[in-house]
Amino acid sequence: MFRTAANRFLGGARHYNGNIGLRFRRPLTLITSSRYSTTENQPFSNPHSIHDAIPVSTTENPSFNDSTSSTSSSSSDDDSRRQSSKSRAKYEDEHARLLHASLTHVMKLGWTEAALMAGANDVGLSPSIVGSLSRKEAALVEFFMDECLQRLVDRIDTDETLKILSPSDCISKLIKFRLEMQAPYISIWPEALSIQAQPVNVPTSFKQRAMLVDEIWHAAGDKASDIDWYAKRTVLGGIYSTTEIYMLTDSSADFQDTWTFLDARVKDAFDLKKTIQEARYLAEAVSVGLGNSFQRFVGKVYRR
Amino acid sequence: MAFGTVTKRFGNKLFPALSSTPRLLHSHATSFGFKHVNEEEKARMVGDVFTSVAASYDTMNDLMSAGLHRLWKERLVSMLNPFPGMKHLDVAGGTGDVAFRILDNINRVKQRRLPNAFKVSLESETQIYVCDINPNMLNVGKQRATEKGYGEDGSLVWVEGNAESLSFQNDSMDGYTIAFGIRNVTHIEKVLSEAHRVLKPGGRFLCLELSHVSLPIFKELYDLYSFSVIPRIGEMVAGDRESYQYLVESIRRFPPQEKFASMIADAGFQKVEYENLVGGVVAIHSGLKI
Repeated sequence: MFRTAANRFLGGARHYNGNIGLRFRRPLTLITSSRYSTTENQPFSNPHSIHDAIPVSTTENPSFNDSTSSTSSSSSDDDSRRQSSKSRAKYEDEHARLLHASLTHVMKLGWTEAALMAGANDVGLSPSIVGSLSRKEAALVEFFMDECLQRLVDRIDTDETLKILSPSDCISKLIKFRLEMQAPYISIWPEALSIQAQPVNVPTSFKQRAMLVDEIWHAAGDKASDIDWYAKRTVLGGIYSTTEIYMLTDSSADFQDTWTFLDARVKDAFDLKKTIQEARYLAEAVSVGLGNSFQRFVGKVYRR
Repeated sequence: MAFGTVTKRFGNKLFPALSSTPRLLHSHATSFGFKHVNEEEKARMVGDVFTSVAASYDTMNDLMSAGLHRLWKERLVSMLNPFPGMKHLDVAGGTGDVAFRILDNINRVKQRRLPNAFKVSLESETQIYVCDINPNMLNVGKQRATEKGYGEDGSLVWVEGNAESLSFQNDSMDGYTIAFGIRNVTHIEKVLSEAHRVLKPGGRFLCLELSHVSLPIFKELYDLYSFSVIPRIGEMVAGDRESYQYLVESIRRFPPQEKFASMIADAGFQKVEYENLVGGVVAIHSGLKI
């Protein structure tokens, strides 16, 4: 179940070519490449690629270029394409600027259209632009998630101390770092979670969480590409989400209880891994033993 | 598919003959329904159409669309997402149908939201400009506004004007709608570039227009209905068969959804999208000015 879901959301299903080794490795490479594209040239490319992944009944600019290309000559077609890609980049810039400005109003107005309109006012755009966003509140929450992921990735890239930590310490440190970004918004975070849980928004929020969890495993030095890949990500996704929910009702100073809870969960998970491994060794030993005695038994029967 | 190629071939044979006559005239040729007329004449003929149907315009809309045009306009307004303090321009909306709905929607929004949440945009008053080239249509609208009690606070402004050369300042509007109007203008490109001019950055262009049906069987039924039933209804109710003959013909003359969307994009709009309603009987195109 999870495997197919993860494949679909990470885009792996589309590239599936029947090679099992490739299929398992695909999600990893996909995510690293998207990570570099976000850090290098287009800081806000994430939300748009996400919108593209969701099927809508409407058509956007690119297809119109195709329809115009049939009527215009090739040189002017090139021109118009360059121009339209430039203006599309401009639109994406404005879009990101709007969402960025809106985040400052979220504390007061919540994850609402009102925050978006106030943000539009701040950047000198007509509040009318809010009507052109297909999933208004969700766009805001998703933008916040993307920004946080970006900050996490920057931290992973720059912080050398992470590399000497043990995987379990590294994981709990990174989850803590990520959840601390949500701390200022904690009073309105339940609202954001409920927006993310709406059926139309689930694909995107699932994908964002999958990417987050993957970044953390990556930082913890996990290079595995076997069946463990899925197990590890499921477990870490579970830890992240339960801690996030624990944090909502945590009233201790600086969320001290949350971090204790987090450490305990991470420790549990690593213990579980050890237990599973031990169980596997035991099973192997038992089966080898059984196999030997069965062989001996068969041998005896044949000898007779 | 086969039908398409047949008409294309037929059209090719037919067109040289048709276009040669207007070329003799000094003015450029344009279409009035299936007829070819020169540009000045089209403006006058469209004017005549609406002068003659103004009184029974809304009754006819109800009859022809079986009341569906209300839902379409409702959808247009919900896509516009109006807000208090908005400056909006509704072009070709003489009878005020769209403008009243926008006002209703804004009043609903006002009640829903906390009063202090909107201090910024509430500083300015909501203002909806209804622009129509035809004074008779505007009179119908004004009369309905007083009957229904809209615009008593001065939020409705009635302007007689041409969509191809608007009398408004650059960057002055938050929204621009044109419902069942752009089909009747002589130069669609001019209307689009004017819309782009008057909108503020971040402002939106929305166009509700009768468009092209592509579903095979439904298309046949729709053609049958519009060519044999609508002119007859027009004759009985409005006493004017010609105007409604023009209506159904002009729908066929209007560029299809994709083509019109590319025209909007060419006028400089971003994020151009369209939505078909009732399988393409009407389409709502939207664009964003950045």
